[in-house]
Amino acid sequence: MSSASIPAPAPRRRATAGHRDLRRFLLRRLGSGLVVCIGITLVAFVLTHLVPGDPAAANLGQRAIGDPAAVAAFRHQYGLDRPLPVQYALYLKNLLHGNLGISEQSHRPVLADLEEYAPATIELALFAIVLSLVIGISLGIVAAAYHDRWPDHVIRVVSLAGVSMPVFWIALVAFYLLFFKLGWLPGGGRLDPAQTPPTHLTGMFTVDAAMHGQWGLFWSALRHLILPGLVLAIFTTGTLTRSTRASMLEIMGNDYVRAARLKGLPERIVILRHVLRPALVPIITVAGVAFGNLLAGTVLVENIFSWPGLGQYAYRSAVNLDLPAIMGVSLFVALVYIVVNVITDLLYGIIDPRIRLS
Amino acid sequence: MTVGLAACGSNGSSGTSSSSLVVETSFVLTTLDPARMFEPTGFMIDHVLYDTLLTYQGSNVTTPVPDLAASYTVSADAETYTFTLRKGVRFANGDPVTAADVVFSLMRTKNVNGSPSFLMAGITATAPSPGTVVLTSSTPNPAIPAILTDPSLGILDAKKVQAAGGSDAADAATADKAEAALNTTSEGSGPYTLTSFSTTTQVVLTANPRYWGPKPRYSEIVIRNVDPSVQKLDVLRGESQLALDLSPAQAQGMTGVQIVNGASPNMVFLFTNDNPKISRITSNPEFQQAVRYGINYASLVQLAGKGAVQAAGIIPTMFLGNLPPGSGAAYNLSKARAALAASGLGHPTVTLAYPSDLPVNGISLADLAARVQQDLQEVGINIQLQGQSLQVALASYRGGQEAMGLWYWGPDFPDPSDYLNFLPGALVGLRAGWARGADPALEAIGAAAATTTQNPVRETLYQQLQRSMNNSSPFMPLIQPAQVLVGATSVTNLQPSPLWTVDLGELG
Repeated sequence: MSSASIPAPAPRRRATAGHRDLRRFLLRRLGSGLVVCIGITLVAFVLTHLVPGDPAAANLGQRAIGDPAAVAAFRHQYGLDRPLPVQYALYLKNLLHGNLGISEQSHRPVLADLEEYAPATIELALFAIVLSLVIGISLGIVAAAYHDRWPDHVIRVVSLAGVSMPVFWIALVAFYLLFFKLGWLPGGGRLDPAQTPPTHLTGMFTVDAAMHGQWGLFWSALRHLILPGLVLAIFTTGTLTRSTRASMLEIMGNDYVRAARLKGLPERIVILRHVLRPALVPIITVAGVAFGNLLAGTVLVENIFSWPGLGQYAYRSAVNLDLPAIMGVSLFVALVYIVVNVITDLLYGIIDPRIRLS
Repeated sequence: MTVGLAACGSNGSSGTSSSSLVVETSFVLTTLDPARMFEPTGFMIDHVLYDTLLTYQGSNVTTPVPDLAASYTVSADAETYTFTLRKGVRFANGDPVTAADVVFSLMRTKNVNGSPSFLMAGITATAPSPGTVVLTSSTPNPAIPAILTDPSLGILDAKKVQAAGGSDAADAATADKAEAALNTTSEGSGPYTLTSFSTTTQVVLTANPRYWGPKPRYSEIVIRNVDPSVQKLDVLRGESQLALDLSPAQAQGMTGVQIVNGASPNMVFLFTNDNPKISRITSNPEFQQAVRYGINYASLVQLAGKGAVQAAGIIPTMFLGNLPPGSGAAYNLSKARAALAASGLGHPTVTLAYPSDLPVNGISLADLAARVQQDLQEVGINIQLQGQSLQVALASYRGGQEAMGLWYWGPDFPDPSDYLNFLPGALVGLRAGWARGADPALEAIGAAAATTTQNPVRETLYQQLQRSMNNSSPFMPLIQPAQVLVGATSVTNLQPSPLWTVDLGELG
């Protein structure tokens, strides 16, 4: 019994070492992420102050801006009456306490604004990315499998159209066709006008409604999600289709794929098991970047579909020189990119053990 | 809820409070706290959340009518106004409306130092008795009745607002903390109460069962933030019942809906900087005449679409003292060329600045600027267009640094005294480099107009003032764009308001 138990500690040691490596990896990424975030706040702070405009002029009325008392009150309220280095130092100090400042536009804490608007955009981006992954990878596989035959040609043209058409144009056409002419899908907003949102859990209406068992509300939220989600997904689907096809074609040229075919393995097994898995690494890279872009680039789609998300908030903040809000949005987007990158790196390791070992 | 919405599309009768109304507009909204609110969307909403001492009915903004004040008297010097409050009025929460609430609300707006605080500049409110409010102005102020109609001077429940951190004290700019509470719960006595508020999504209002006036037709109003191009499709499909931001071109050809076209109170104007240090060219009086007569006003009106009119003067058509149509500057190419020749400037080149991202009632200022450029080219003036983002352009405009500028003025309150800002040495005058003393005769008319209390005399003075400016000044009033309301046929009594776009409480 004792002799049988002797070899047991070896795998545990390996597992412990693996966990230690993972922890070290995550800590390293966390550290670099922190540096990136501070860098982002500095860049955003400098850039927003370089813009030749005055936040007081942007946020006060035309008469109030001529009233020194009103201007002084505004500057004092938002700390604009202090030297720039002091403003930045104070921002960082408040940031450590989770305070992102007060928005000059909404007059609310920026954190509260982000909590309200970010879930709407995350919900939209998640819907679009899932749709894009399913459709894009499937089309990419088909295109690669039928290389230089008519399905490949059709998919290439369609995906090229997807990445070439301006998103705002697609949005307007889709809105006109699917909402106005055909009436298949609802127009703007996240719910029908008179519907009350579900109790806040995640801020994503489909998730919250489902968690509360409010299936009528869930259905309404889902129907409102489809049109803007589809529009957003079109560009990403095109990109993913093209990268999947290219990546798979590159792998299919390898000797081991030819060997698998010569062994007589069915083409389905060759494609899915021997080609797709190694091809996934670049696809994940593209998907990670695409998700970040979806979160950061939804301004036009959110505007056309009256989607109350981060894109609209960021746009309003930018045109009104709402410095705390601009900083908050920049920081949030940077955080999303960092998290997505970490997840992407972890997925690399799961898909390709050589990357994990290195 | 959906059933209610469907009902409003088919029920054309009024007098029942059983349906919902969906209104779509492009939000310009940061707050609903009256003391801090001074934006178009906020005006429309606060107007139905809060009663004011006086108000206007429908589109007529020449004569204020009683609201919370049953009546008022004014001293001969227009410095003291005494208001008798309407009896038996209660806030939506059941508290009675008293003179103390009025004083608190007005002084809070004054002392918070927010965007609308200027409305109360030099004015003090007191309450000698529970049913009487006295406003005392440090200077003769015949505009006070018009000013008091502003939704920023809406009357709040003082006790409730104070409990939420509100203050009307002299240090209210820092002491008042009630804004967040007022963006959650309205504390007014108007026909509606606030149900939910978002600056980017939608605002929901519910009918106030304790409202003292005519019962509002709709039990619920949902005001949604929607892009104008989408507003058009939504109102056509019945998804909404009211679209507020369509341009005349967008509204053209729409069927199955009602379209109300009227001139907006916004006045688009051109100025040539009168300060020689900014531009030797634009400050030349003959050059200013060349510009004035070189603009084809009719083509600008045509560009602005149905409902737009030429601005006969700086005061819009709906306010006291406006000039009759046709009395504005007239296009006269030979006169313009002669003036340019007399200026001795040859064929000058001037930069025309304008905000490129600020449409006025759906009209792009860039389009108007291009038309001005084309017109002045005929005269012999080369215009270089300089479109900038609003915030960048504002800085140079407000600093009086633009040689030529294309801007618009929206009324701060519906009284001609608001347009005294265009005189030499005043707010807008200085932006055009028009310094105090530049036109003593005109300034004397302005001083008399500012203190005269009798409306017929005021009207004469303001018309005289505008005629003088139309003859000689650095300002060229161009157009009043159209204000277009598109509504479902089920909505009745749809009238544009120059102050709050549309009175949601008056809709039938």
